[in-house]
Amino acid sequence: ISDKMLDLPLEKQDLFRVSELFTVKDLFDARVHLGHKKGCRHRLMEPYLYDSSLDYDIIDLDKTAEDLRRALDKTAHTAYGGGIILFISRRRQFCHLVENTAKQCGEYAHTRYWQGGLFTNAHIQYGPGVRLPDLVVFLSTLNNVFQQHVAIRDARKMNIPTVGVVDSNCNPSLITYPVPGNDDTPVAMELYCRLFKTVINRAKNKRKQMELLHSLSEPSEPSS
Amino acid sequence: MAALCKLRFGCRSAFRFSSSVSVRTSFSSDSEDGTRAGAGFAAAFQRQAELQREAENSAPDQSGSIPGQEQTFASLFQAVPVRDKVVVGNIFHVVRDDLYIDFGGKFHCVCRRPAAGGERLQRGSRVRLKVLDPELTARFLGAKTDTTLLEAQAVLLGPLEEREAQGRVQKQD
Repeated sequence: ISDKMLDLPLEKQDLFRVSELFTVKDLFDARVHLGHKKGCRHRLMEPYLYDSSLDYDIIDLDKTAEDLRRALDKTAHTAYGGGIILFISRRRQFCHLVENTAKQCGEYAHTRYWQGGLFTNAHIQYGPGVRLPDLVVFLSTLNNVFQQHVAIRDARKMNIPTVGVVDSNCNPSLITYPVPGNDDTPVAMELYCRLFKTVINRAKNKRKQMELLHSLSEPSEPSS
Repeated sequence: MAALCKLRFGCRSAFRFSSSVSVRTSFSSDSEDGTRAGAGFAAAFQRQAELQREAENSAPDQSGSIPGQEQTFASLFQAVPVRDKVVVGNIFHVVRDDLYIDFGGKFHCVCRRPAAGGERLQRGSRVRLKVLDPELTARFLGAKTDTTLLEAQAVLLGPLEEREAQGRVQKQD
């Protein structure tokens, strides 16, 4: 039963209808395209910018829209398969928002100081047989001193896929599904949180639906 | 003057001829279709429904297709945040004398409450600002990138008055 259920999202193109959730206009209204100043720019973010000669970086929303759809799709697939999702953000301004988002979709969040071996030394720090997250979502990839968050490197070491909102001063190279976008404005953060929450809930509901369908059709299978 | 009068008369005659055209049927139907009530109104309603359906069919095509979206971002994005721009902001947080004001840019700005008329400015008030710098950054010695304060700098010009809100449209930058 579980094989058929897990193959279903791979057969259809956009099973969770992620492309309907937002438009480029929504991203524009939430100020997702605004980046930092030219002097703060990270060299590897240049392909994602609209025009590199401007004083203030503007992120190209067409690329953002495509990357965001891919990231939401990956999140949905992970949630559908019963995976654990961990939200990480070290921005104090949005720590409450991120924790509430995680609570509302039944997943986990870590918005405090990241101790050294949380992923790499998990079995000693937490106890034997700890289950690590199957997907880590970074709503801001930098920590409080504007350096790359340690968890990005650690998740890569532990083979955990990562989704991350990268602003124009972040390094997108180690993140599996980078989403170029603004991570400083409250409107933009609320948009991301709302999108991830909707997608995860949708995926979980779909999973419950599939389980019900399969449990109902099971008695008929031995006869055929 | 004479040309304007001629245009108006021309429009009115056009309305009379095309009594079945959607929005204008409301007033022409009152005067004309009193006698032929059923036929005129029914035809007008059908025509309007068809026009609405055509409008609905054409609208999703523009927003749904990918080429439409590419044009959309380039057309949506007009201007980069510039220095020395006068904008209207909205106060979203107050800490005694400090007002945290959001003016639609990437960051908010923090301004001191003005001595005159300061009590009127509370959470939710709209104010006029002159944005000096949309993002406060500086490159220090020995640093690879700029250090940013994650804040904008603006001068508070005063609360937004009603008559100024109407005049704002014609105001220059």
